[in-house]
Amino acid sequence: MSRPAARKAAPKGEYIETDSGNKVSRRAAITGTANITLGGRTVIMADVQLRGDLHPTRSAPSQSGRETTPISINIGRCTVISTGSVIKPPARISRGQVHYYPMKIGDNVFVGPNSTISAISISSHVHIGANVTIQPFAIIKENVKILPHAVVPTNMVIASGSVVGGQPARIVGEVGEGWGAGGGGAGGGLGVGGGGEEKWVEGGDLRELVRSIK
Amino acid sequence: MAQPFPYTYYACDCFDSNTGADEEERTFDPRSPRADYALYPLEHLLYCEDCLRIRCPRCTIEETLNWYCPSCLFEVPSSVVKSDGNRCTRNCFNCPVCTSPLSVHSVENPEAPSAAGGPYILACSYCHWSTAETGIEFEKHTGIHSQLSRVANGGTPIPTQKERDKERDRRCKELDDQRASRHSVRPPPEDSPAADTATGGEAVQRDERFSNLSAFYKTQTDAQTPSNLFAAHDMSFSSPSTYSRIMNLYSTTSRNKKRDKPPPMREAAAELEGLSIHDPASDAAAIERLKKDGWSSTLSPAQKLAQIDPHVQFEDELRPVATLLCTKRSKRCRSCRHILSKPESKITSTRYKIKLLALNHIPRISIRALPSPTAQQPLPLAPGPTSSQPSPFNYNNLRQGIPTNFVIHLSNPLFDPVRVTLATPSTTPGKVHSKVTILCPQFEIGANTDVWDDALSSSSSSAAPVNKGTVVDSDGAIEPGKPYDRGRNWTSVVIEVVPGFLDQSIVSSTTDQGPDGELEEDDDVVEIPIFVRLEFEADINAEERGLGDSRGSKGEKETREEAFWTVVGAGRIARV
Repeated sequence: MSRPAARKAAPKGEYIETDSGNKVSRRAAITGTANITLGGRTVIMADVQLRGDLHPTRSAPSQSGRETTPISINIGRCTVISTGSVIKPPARISRGQVHYYPMKIGDNVFVGPNSTISAISISSHVHIGANVTIQPFAIIKENVKILPHAVVPTNMVIASGSVVGGQPARIVGEVGEGWGAGGGGAGGGLGVGGGGEEKWVEGGDLRELVRSIK
Repeated sequence: MAQPFPYTYYACDCFDSNTGADEEERTFDPRSPRADYALYPLEHLLYCEDCLRIRCPRCTIEETLNWYCPSCLFEVPSSVVKSDGNRCTRNCFNCPVCTSPLSVHSVENPEAPSAAGGPYILACSYCHWSTAETGIEFEKHTGIHSQLSRVANGGTPIPTQKERDKERDRRCKELDDQRASRHSVRPPPEDSPAADTATGGEAVQRDERFSNLSAFYKTQTDAQTPSNLFAAHDMSFSSPSTYSRIMNLYSTTSRNKKRDKPPPMREAAAELEGLSIHDPASDAAAIERLKKDGWSSTLSPAQKLAQIDPHVQFEDELRPVATLLCTKRSKRCRSCRHILSKPESKITSTRYKIKLLALNHIPRISIRALPSPTAQQPLPLAPGPTSSQPSPFNYNNLRQGIPTNFVIHLSNPLFDPVRVTLATPSTTPGKVHSKVTILCPQFEIGANTDVWDDALSSSSSSAAPVNKGTVVDSDGAIEPGKPYDRGRNWTSVVIEVVPGFLDQSIVSSTTDQGPDGELEEDDDVVEIPIFVRLEFEADINAEERGLGDSRGSKGEKETREEAFWTVVGAGRIARV
C-alpha cells in the first residue's frame, strides 16, 4: 500500500494458491497463521479476517510433548469464505480469564459476504448467506441453510437439514431431499436454486466455484 | 422461501387435479392463490418411478421414523413421546421471550459458596431474559426439566401428581364427612359441593385443574351402575362413552370396559372436580396491572402461543419453553404407496436409504440474463472469473418496455436424448403485462452420458470449442429458431422479455380508484410461466433393471412423454 508503483510493476493475481489448492486473497487479514489449518481447495476472499491468534491458551492435556501448536481455526476442503467475513474463535470467561476454544468448519461450506462466524463447529455442506452473524458456541450440523441477515444465538444447535433465519435465528423450514445434489452430472450452468449462472448449487460440491475463482 | 433472482419453480400438477378445469385450455397462472401451493424448487420435488410423475410435498405421505430433540440431538422413543408429549425432557429449553436456547448459569454467591456450585438459573444469552426474573432457581445443573416441573414462578413448589391426588382424596373425604353429618340421605349427583369449598383464594393451577377434572371423570365412569335407566342414547354430550373416549385421548392408560346403557353423567361442579369459576377480580387485577406497568409487561401473541398455558398475560408468568422435538420422516407416493424417500434412522446420519429425486428425472431449468448486445461484453457463458466481469446484471432493475434477452438453460439428467418443447403465454399473467417470446421453442438436449466424459472434458472446457455465437450475428441480433448454445447434455435458448409498464397501471389506479388497479407487493416481478414438454425414447422398464442396464444395448424402447409447468422469475421491473 505504501508503494503502489512497485505493486504495478509486478502484477500478481488476487490469490495466493498453496500446494493443496487453497486460494487465499492477498487482501485477507489473517493473524496467527500457525494456528489455522485449511483443508485444501479452500478460498479465503479479500477482506476476510481469520483470527488465528485467538488460540486456546489453556494447556490442553497433551499426551505427547508440550510443544504442540494450538489449533484455533480448522477449515475443511472446498470451503469458500466470502469477502468481508470475520472468522473468530468463540471465547468464554472462566474464573476471570478469557479462554478461546478451537472452531471447526467442515467441507463445502459457503460463507456469504460480511458474515461474522464464531461457531464452535460448522459441519459440511452448510450454506451461510450474506450478513449472517453466528454467535459464539453455536453448533451447525450438516446440510443447513442459513438465510441472509440471520443471527444465530449463542449455544444454538441447528440440526441437520434445517433452514434457519431471523433474529434470533429459528428453524423456518427444511431443505429438500435434493439439497446439494448437483443434478444430472454437472451439465454446466447449474444455478443457485436452479436459477443463477454459477456452476454450483447451495450446499453442493463447491469445487466448481473454487475453480472459477481466480 | 424467497429466493434471489433469477429463480425457477416447478409446478406439481397435483394441485389442479381437483379443480376439474380442462387443463388443455388453461395456462398456469403463478399469481393465482392456488399456485402458492403448487410451486416448489426442484430440490424439494421427488419423482415416483412407478407413476412416472413428479411428487411434491403435497402428494406424498409422510411417515414418522423417529423423534429427536434438535437441540441435544437425542432420539426420543415413541412411547416417551406418547406419555410425555413432543418436548424434550432433558435440559433443552428455549427462551419464552425470543426463542433462542437457554443455558444453565450458576448464580453462586462467591462469599458463601455452596457445595453443588448452585443455585443455577436458565438464562438467554440473546435477550438476557432469565428464570431469575420469574423467581425460579435450581439446585442442580442437571435434570432441569424435572426440577422446573416442581417449582412454580416465584419459587413456590408445585405438588406432584401423587401429592395432588392424595390431597384431593383427603379433601373429598372431608367433604363427604361434612355432608354425611349434615344430611342424612341424599344421592351423590344431586348435591353441589362447590358451595362448601371456600378454600384458598388463589386460582387453581392449570395442571391441577386438569388432574382434578381427569380424576373426576374417572370416578364418574367408574361409578356407573348398570341399573340406571336414564341412558336412552349413547352418543349424547355427557354420556359415559363419550367421556371415556375423551379420557382415552388424554390419558395413557386405556380402559375399554364395555358397558351397556350407561347413565348420563353430571358435569364437574366443584373446584375439586376441576370446575373453575371465572373470577372477575382477576380481570380487575389485570387491568390495574396494565395501568401500572403498561403494555411492555404484556406478552406478544407469539410468546403466548409458545407457552404451555396459552392464557398467560404478563411477563412474570412466563415459563421456559421446553424444546419441541423434530422428526425424521419417510415419504411415500400418495397414489401408488411406493417409498420415495427414506432417511437412515440414526439421528446423526444424514444419508438416505431411498431417495428418488426429481432432479434425476426432469431437466434442471435455469434462466439468466443475456447481456445486451450494445454493451460489448464477453459472453458470460464461458467458465471464467465471474468477479472480473464489469458489472453483474441487476435483476432488480429491469427497464420498462425495453426488450431484454434472457437465456434459458436446460440440462438433462437422463441417459437418453430428450426433445423439448417450450411454450409460454405471450404476455405474463398479472397486472403488469410483460411480453415474452421464446426464440427457439423446440430443440433437443443430448443424453447425460458417462460422467467421466464430462470430468475429462470439463478440465479443458475453457479451451473447448463451443458453438455459441452462431446464432448471434455481427449486429447482435439473435436468429430465432436456433438454440443459443448447446453442450453434452444441455441446451440453452434465448427468451426475449419486454417488461411491461408499471405506470399504466399506476395511472389507471389513481383514476379508477379501483382496488384492483392498485399495484401490490411483488406485482412488479416478471414471473414467466413456461410449459415444458419432454419426449424421449426410454428403455421399457428401465427402472426395474436399474439405471446401469438402461444404457445397454437392449433394443426395446418406448416413447415417453412428460409435461409440467415451471415458473421462472426473471427479475423486478424498476420504477422510473
